[in-house]
Amino acid sequence: MDRGPDFRELVGDDLTPGERARLERVHELLVAAGPPPELPPALAEPPDEPGASVTPLVLPRRRAGAMLTLAAAIALIAFVGGFVAGKNGVGQGGRNVLHSLNMHGTAAARNASAKIDVEAVDSSGNWPLRIVVHGLPQLSKGSYYEMFLSKHGKPIAACGIFTVAGSTSTVHLSMPPTITGYDGWIVTRESPGNNGHPVVLTT
Amino acid sequence: MRRVSAHEATDGELILRTGDGDRGAFETLYKRYARPVFGLALRRLGDRGRAEDAVQETFASVWRGAGSYRPERGPGGPWIYAVARNAIVDRARARSEPAVEAPEQESHEAGPAERAEASWTSWRVHRALEELPDNERRVIELAYWSGLSQSEVAEYLGIPLGTVKTRTRAALARLADQLEEEFDGPGT
Repeated sequence: MDRGPDFRELVGDDLTPGERARLERVHELLVAAGPPPELPPALAEPPDEPGASVTPLVLPRRRAGAMLTLAAAIALIAFVGGFVAGKNGVGQGGRNVLHSLNMHGTAAARNASAKIDVEAVDSSGNWPLRIVVHGLPQLSKGSYYEMFLSKHGKPIAACGIFTVAGSTSTVHLSMPPTITGYDGWIVTRESPGNNGHPVVLTT
Repeated sequence: MRRVSAHEATDGELILRTGDGDRGAFETLYKRYARPVFGLALRRLGDRGRAEDAVQETFASVWRGAGSYRPERGPGGPWIYAVARNAIVDRARARSEPAVEAPEQESHEAGPAERAEASWTSWRVHRALEELPDNERRVIELAYWSGLSQSEVAEYLGIPLGTVKTRTRAALARLADQLEEEFDGPGT
């Protein structure tokens, strides 16, 4: 193990034995601990809306540095092209938003709406999704919302689950670029012990 | 009773306030613990993407679960450590591909107990580092993890050697105080 810097050079010779022992213990802990990591930009600030607690579904992560295939990118752009609601570009907080699309509430949540920002592929090879949700009711304990990629309104791949607090919540999910064959997104309401999965938002 | 500012509050006090929906308290907890949680997650998961997810999940869980914190059952730092550990374990269990590259040679790694001890040590130290004034933390990082001598640190920072030594000693003493308090004493 790396022994670290010369402790004597650091503190000199004029410490009392007790203080010297105390600082030497810290010195040993610093050497054992190693350097703390630098936070990546994505973690520089706490979550926008902690009330929107997010439990992202585990998606297949590609290794850092893996290249997004042109075909997959074209497929996504072709798909979201029909839904584009905003301009491409760098969004608030330096986010690189590729496309934005809107979701609207269904009969199960008439007053709800959402906007999805599809961001540039991240270091893990997934597309980050930032979803600003309006008007979804806060659920009872144990219940949650789940977002899916869908085809003809039927879920085909989950993107993650979340809850909301307040009238507007921001959640961060992601999707792997390898999923194909979808034509939209939906959000369902999931409750323990309930077999129903009502769709509350759809593109 | 005087209500102390978030920056003066103990971790336990901040968790209690977070449980009451205090966004400022939550942000202070995040500033104190984001790097230690990220470090712990990186150590366990070996993948920056998953580690980022684990940090997000940890703080979502802190927000959700702060109301269940009971100060009489222990200080706040270990409580957050437990929340982080659970989020990281969940992330590791759920992974769909190996998180860490397989070693190319036979491993002589420590056993689970030693790894847990090492993780705990790193957590405590990295947490304590977050409490140092910037100028003290800088000299510690340069001395311990950049391989610079005290003279080189002085030259690099453009300050007198005596100042480097004073800051280093002060930083070590402050860290000792922090670590002896098990990061839930006043000011932590």
